[in-house]
Amino acid sequence: MSEPELKPIDREEIKRMLDQKKGKMKRLLSHCVHCSLCAESCFLFMAHDKDPQYMPSYKVIQSLGKLYKKKGTVNREFLERIKGIVWRNCVLCRRCYCPIGIDVPGMIAFTRAICRSQGVYPRQDGVPTESWL
Amino acid sequence: MVDFIEGELIAISVLIFILGLLFQVYRFFSITWKKEWSFLNLPAKKEEVPKGGAALLMDWIASLRRTVFGSHPYLITMTFLFHFFIFIVPLFVLGHTLLLKQAWGIRFLAFPESVSDGLTLVLLLCGLVFLLRRIFLKKVRVITAAYDYIVLFITLAPFITGFLAYHQWFDYRTVIFLHILSGEAMLITIPFTKLGHMIFFFLYRFFIGSEYSFLRGTRTW
Repeated sequence: MSEPELKPIDREEIKRMLDQKKGKMKRLLSHCVHCSLCAESCFLFMAHDKDPQYMPSYKVIQSLGKLYKKKGTVNREFLERIKGIVWRNCVLCRRCYCPIGIDVPGMIAFTRAICRSQGVYPRQDGVPTESWL
Repeated sequence: MVDFIEGELIAISVLIFILGLLFQVYRFFSITWKKEWSFLNLPAKKEEVPKGGAALLMDWIASLRRTVFGSHPYLITMTFLFHFFIFIVPLFVLGHTLLLKQAWGIRFLAFPESVSDGLTLVLLLCGLVFLLRRIFLKKVRVITAAYDYIVLFITLAPFITGFLAYHQWFDYRTVIFLHILSGEAMLITIPFTKLGHMIFFFLYRFFIGSEYSFLRGTRTW
């Protein structure tokens, strides 16, 4: 199957999506106290020998956190990089526990929506060969 | 400048603290709304509470072990003590209650000085453990930035300077000035930084519906 033509990143669309949920997302990002208590609740973290890149807080800070920090001014390479975080490193099982009550899966799902809006998503046809991280 | 910091700025910082928190609470309720959930975080049938002190205690310990306390007993104990003391020490320390009586004639309960001293030391020890954890534990270090160290310092500074002032180590006048300044800095930053978890812990865990809600959690984003 031939590669689909990649459309250019629509930064205005990304900014619009970020603004739409700014009230919730920026609050949740700012109220994360970086305690790492969420780590052991993620089975992927436990299964990967407690690799910190699978920590729920790490996943959110490195994906959605960076999107807000850059105010949506990102390129395709950035989105391809966080694709691995939000699709491979998280399966949205909702098992993650946060003592503050931060909705980590909601933030990951939102990041996926942003990626999808720019045509960045895991390939469903054939065996994936790309290295996501 | 010194007179301003030791005078009017105290009232300003308390006002910013109160108004900031009220604003955050208002914003929370304005951007969330009530929702009827298709499932509720309720048990299928009412659990029987065991009668008797020992049985009740064992049941309570067993239920605690199913929480984050079971997976991180020492950290959660330290966190609980830290947060509890951060609240009660400034409220009941003799120096503050005397100022309150002097300023407004309000007589307030005060801990014996040795008790306040001991609680402050425990609090500072917990703070030190949090700092060491942030530096040496890989899973905490990867999500740590300068901001986290600054906020931890802002939180501990009033207690460090208060401890130094009580024991009259170094120049008392300077230490007391720094104590007042650090207390004001902490009050002003609480509503606008991650220290806002002081109020948002309760808002999120009690009002937002999720598997981990303490109550029914009838609100959603």
